[in-house]
Amino acid sequence: MDTILSILIFFPAIAGFVGFGITKGSAKIYGIAVATIELILALLLWMQFDTSNAGMQFTEKVALIADFGISYNVGVDGISLFIVVMAALITLLGIILLRPDTKNMKNMIISLLFLEMTMVGVFLTLDAIIFYLFWELSLVPMLYIVGAWGGKDRVYAAVKFFLYTFAGSLVMLVGLLAMAYLYHQANGVWSFSILDWYTLPLTEDQQFWLFLAFFAGFAIKVPMFPFHTWLPWAHGQAPTIGSVILAAVLLKMGTYGFVRFSLPILPDASVTFIPLIMALSLIMVIYTAMIAFAQKDMKQVIAYSSVSHMGIIMLGVFAMNAEGLGGSVFLMLSHGIVSGALFMLVGVIYERTGTKLMSEFGGLAAVMPIYATVFGLMLMASVGLPLTIGFVGEFLVLLGFYKISAIGTILAGSTIIIGSVYMLALFKKSFFGPVRHEKNLALKDLDKRELTALIPLVLIVVWLGVYPKPILGPIDNSAKHILTQMEAKAINPATKETIILSKKEAE
Amino acid sequence: MLEIGVNHYLILSGILFSIGFMGVLRRKNLLMLFFATEVMLNAVNIAFAAIGNYYGDLSGQMFAFFVIAVAASEVAVGLGLLIVLYKKYGSLDLDVISSMKG
Amino acid sequence: METLVYIALFSPFVGSLFAGLLFGNSPRKMFTGWVASALIFVTFVSSVTLAYHVATVGAIHVQMMDWISAGDLSIPFGFVIDQISVTMMVVVSLVSTIVHIYATGYMDHDKSYNRFFAYLSAFVFAMMILIMSDNFAGLFIGWEGVGVCSWLLVGFWYHKADRPFEENPSISPSWAANEAFIMNRVADLGMLVGIFLIYWNIGSLQYDVVFDAMPHLADGILVSIAIALFIGAMGKSAQFPLHTWLTDAMEGPTPVSALIHAATMVTAGVFLVIRANPLYSLEAVHGVSMFIASLGTFVAFYAATMALIARDIKRIVALSTLSQLGYMFAAAGLGAYWIALFHLAAHAFFKALLFLGAGNVMHAMDDELDIFKMGGLKNAMRGSYIYMGIASFALAGLPIMAGFYSKDAIIETAFNEGTYIIWGMLVITAGMTAFYSFRQVFFSFHGEKRYEALGFHPHDMYKYVLIAMAPLAALAISFGWFMGYYKDFIYGLNETVQYEMSHTTHHWAWLLGSIVIALALTGIFLAWKKYAGEGENAWKRDEKFEASFIYKLLENQYYVPKFYDQFIVQPYTIASAKFWEFDKKTVDGTVDDLGKACLNIGDTSRGMQNGNLSSYLNWMGVGAMIIVIIAVISSVIG
Repeated sequence: MDTILSILIFFPAIAGFVGFGITKGSAKIYGIAVATIELILALLLWMQFDTSNAGMQFTEKVALIADFGISYNVGVDGISLFIVVMAALITLLGIILLRPDTKNMKNMIISLLFLEMTMVGVFLTLDAIIFYLFWELSLVPMLYIVGAWGGKDRVYAAVKFFLYTFAGSLVMLVGLLAMAYLYHQANGVWSFSILDWYTLPLTEDQQFWLFLAFFAGFAIKVPMFPFHTWLPWAHGQAPTIGSVILAAVLLKMGTYGFVRFSLPILPDASVTFIPLIMALSLIMVIYTAMIAFAQKDMKQVIAYSSVSHMGIIMLGVFAMNAEGLGGSVFLMLSHGIVSGALFMLVGVIYERTGTKLMSEFGGLAAVMPIYATVFGLMLMASVGLPLTIGFVGEFLVLLGFYKISAIGTILAGSTIIIGSVYMLALFKKSFFGPVRHEKNLALKDLDKRELTALIPLVLIVVWLGVYPKPILGPIDNSAKHILTQMEAKAINPATKETIILSKKEAE
Repeated sequence: MLEIGVNHYLILSGILFSIGFMGVLRRKNLLMLFFATEVMLNAVNIAFAAIGNYYGDLSGQMFAFFVIAVAASEVAVGLGLLIVLYKKYGSLDLDVISSMKG
Repeated sequence: METLVYIALFSPFVGSLFAGLLFGNSPRKMFTGWVASALIFVTFVSSVTLAYHVATVGAIHVQMMDWISAGDLSIPFGFVIDQISVTMMVVVSLVSTIVHIYATGYMDHDKSYNRFFAYLSAFVFAMMILIMSDNFAGLFIGWEGVGVCSWLLVGFWYHKADRPFEENPSISPSWAANEAFIMNRVADLGMLVGIFLIYWNIGSLQYDVVFDAMPHLADGILVSIAIALFIGAMGKSAQFPLHTWLTDAMEGPTPVSALIHAATMVTAGVFLVIRANPLYSLEAVHGVSMFIASLGTFVAFYAATMALIARDIKRIVALSTLSQLGYMFAAAGLGAYWIALFHLAAHAFFKALLFLGAGNVMHAMDDELDIFKMGGLKNAMRGSYIYMGIASFALAGLPIMAGFYSKDAIIETAFNEGTYIIWGMLVITAGMTAFYSFRQVFFSFHGEKRYEALGFHPHDMYKYVLIAMAPLAALAISFGWFMGYYKDFIYGLNETVQYEMSHTTHHWAWLLGSIVIALALTGIFLAWKKYAGEGENAWKRDEKFEASFIYKLLENQYYVPKFYDQFIVQPYTIASAKFWEFDKKTVDGTVDDLGKACLNIGDTSRGMQNGNLSSYLNWMGVGAMIIVIIAVISSVIG
């Protein structure tokens, strides 16, 4: 089991290659089988994971280009573990939800499996070059999924998505190379290992510029205001499965990047940039929530709400205490589950009616009660109702960020108000009131395929809302570990003061 | 009596180079372009020889010889190509033989 | 005893799951209502047993399991059963039991009968969490939980269409539900901030730890915490300016109004202030406490004025609830926490009775709400008439009724504290209370049978439902008699909850009481004179008065809903649309422009690629020159 991480990363890709030889009819079954095995592997990893160890586990290292210190280096900690499990779960459920009559099913399954490899790879790798490789590779299957199965403007949306994120990650690449160069200057050997970089002392000036370079890549992916406009386009045009994976997993790559790279490598710059991050995040939270309220298309509401929630996650990442950081990682998971489910639900109604416009619906609660119930539950999770998964992360993030800025927290806390405004407005327009169109009276409630995909998410939403400990514990450990590293590495005393390891110690 | 020093050679070289450069820019006939490049090469040769002499270092002149050798072989190949081009298009005017319009 | 705590807590939850998961989507099954009612009754029995235990042995504190732990934060699912929470538990479970039984009759024709009980029991569960939790985060779970259940229940008849504000001030059930939820969330933000403040200054959210640490905190922090928590309380208890949702919430089925929007959920804010009595009784937050008392008094008066002219039977009762909540806050703000709690309990009994009686009337009148269309119902609905009468007497605070003891104590407190303005307003409000509650009774039960012309055939509620309401009626009459016992009971909690009238107040108590009673009787008499008579002019609407400014002001709820619509809802909608426009045009436009710029540069510079060697050479020359110039400049600078 020493190589479980490599198996996790490459199994879907190999299965994807084998998939070229599968007949069209059995493609979906094949996809489900592969994704199930992958999920079982991920769960196995979780079971074997040592929750008391906050550092990297199951590490593997194979030198690739020894002269330049580039190696295939993977490892997992409490932060990446659950994102990987979630990625595997969402992929499986997404494949289950695929309509059996999807055109080119085989190509879809193969792209999804490749996408799964890149997603898992990004979160598990500990080498910057390999990280960059997976990071960019993930664009390709997504480009194809949006471009081939999307809506009317799919090519425009796909190209926009690709070029925008690609432009940002090129700047990030420069940052990565500069980082390796600095490492070389300091130690005389090249290394792209993130773990090595954690130990490299950097001046504040260097940190400043490196932070900006990383920021370009990560912020566009998150997406932070004002770099978010590719997201509504991508969601608007992507097929359901594309939106689900995009919202649930791909966006988390950006915030994960901040957690894995910016914070521990550049602690002083991270603290310096808090005001900027806070300003942008608050704009994201409030401004995009208001835009979400103005939308007419159900899917766009959820797309913009994603941006709004990512703003909360960003605040938590830069809260500089274990409550906020752990909370934001938890929120990444919960947002993945909830927004994934919401996009699935929108897909369900879109398949039935061919429209996503809220004005076309109304009174659906009477026609499709189970659908309305699941939607309502996910809505409540999305607005952060206690005892659902959405509350835990949001509460912790706001709690943690309060230490940084009370005003900022109050402004960010308005998410619980304006978040419920657009969500409840959506629910009222689509589900309440009289049934506006005759044809909607004949709509079928959720069928077996859709229930199979959605019920696991419903159970997770409730389970982790009531008992988040199995996940929050390891996350908390690793969050504390990262903060300890940051504090040890920080050169500016003001930074050390901002980072709070434990309140009890501080007193 | 004016002493002819390295400056004079360099000025001559510069003037020759400019003449050649202008030729490259303005001429439309390929053959004329060849001549112009030859002029530029020779301008550089003068500069090499002059500076080599100035520093008492032979490598400048050595380099000039190399340039002459390269120029000679280049002319040999180039003229051959010109003949082929002329046979194909019946002209050496650049405006006529442009085929790679983007 | 620990098991009993869990039984009390979870049996409503079981009832909710039973009705919701097993029968949520199936056709109406009467037994779901009965099972749910029985399970709530189990809670009631356990609560009473626990109350006995608390009185004889002492408080119980249990911890079930961890909920959230991250960083230094550790929140358990813990429950504390002490004098305050057990009082609430008994009140909530008793009223819930009766409302559940009532609803089996009231909702028996509704096709979503099972769903109704699922929600109603879920509400009781959430309320129990709110009451019993031993920490602020647990309180917040219940806090939000009751909010959601209230959303579900107010919007229970979600299929009704929106109507314009002029026709129906609450527009539609789904609109009212959203309004209630969102407005409560505004307050919840305040509550959250309070929780954050407590956590970062004390390091724990457990009540006992927090209240022990409070006296050692700086004044500024204490005041901030007190304000933040009270903002939370204002939302749930519908205090001005977050009060509009409560009257609109009357769109929900009447049992819901009785249980949630009169007896239990809306008292959560009062409960919070009482629960946090060690904080609010600190000298440092005296200003905040005075503000609470003043706001409470203001709301008591403000709501009563609107009730004077309201025509919708449920709105009248809702406004009286608002007014009584104001009384409770006045008492709590003045430091008489146990009196506030006592009034809370008494109010729960008679207000639930009043609402259920109003529900009977509605049921009989095919959901007609306008009291101008009723009249003379007393013969057709004798049982409901008696109940409504008892409840109104209790509300008006006439001797021997529950309200006489509890409300008078609050008014006395105001006198005792020397806050004569508060005292005066509360006394006047008491008079108005008597007037509007009897106006409603006389309008609907006395006078001419106006409904006959409109084609209604009223009949009273099922017998068993009327019998089930009897305990409420009994308590509405007799609850005040136990005030002395209750005082002994709750004094066991701590010192800050204790409150005694001064000697002077005792001396003047008879006079103070007489003033209130006199005003109340005057109010009842006026109502009788104006609305109970028969004949042409007895109930005629006074058109001149209705055209006056004051009437218009009251009818439009002081234009507060209009104000919210004009200055919050509409600007928000417009700003949202503008932002969207901005996002598409400017933010996304810039990105697209960048892309287009690249395209244009490429398109323009494509001209260079003309295949002409000569022009290539020219460009090469230009490039060479630029390089030379750069080299020269940099060598000069460098």
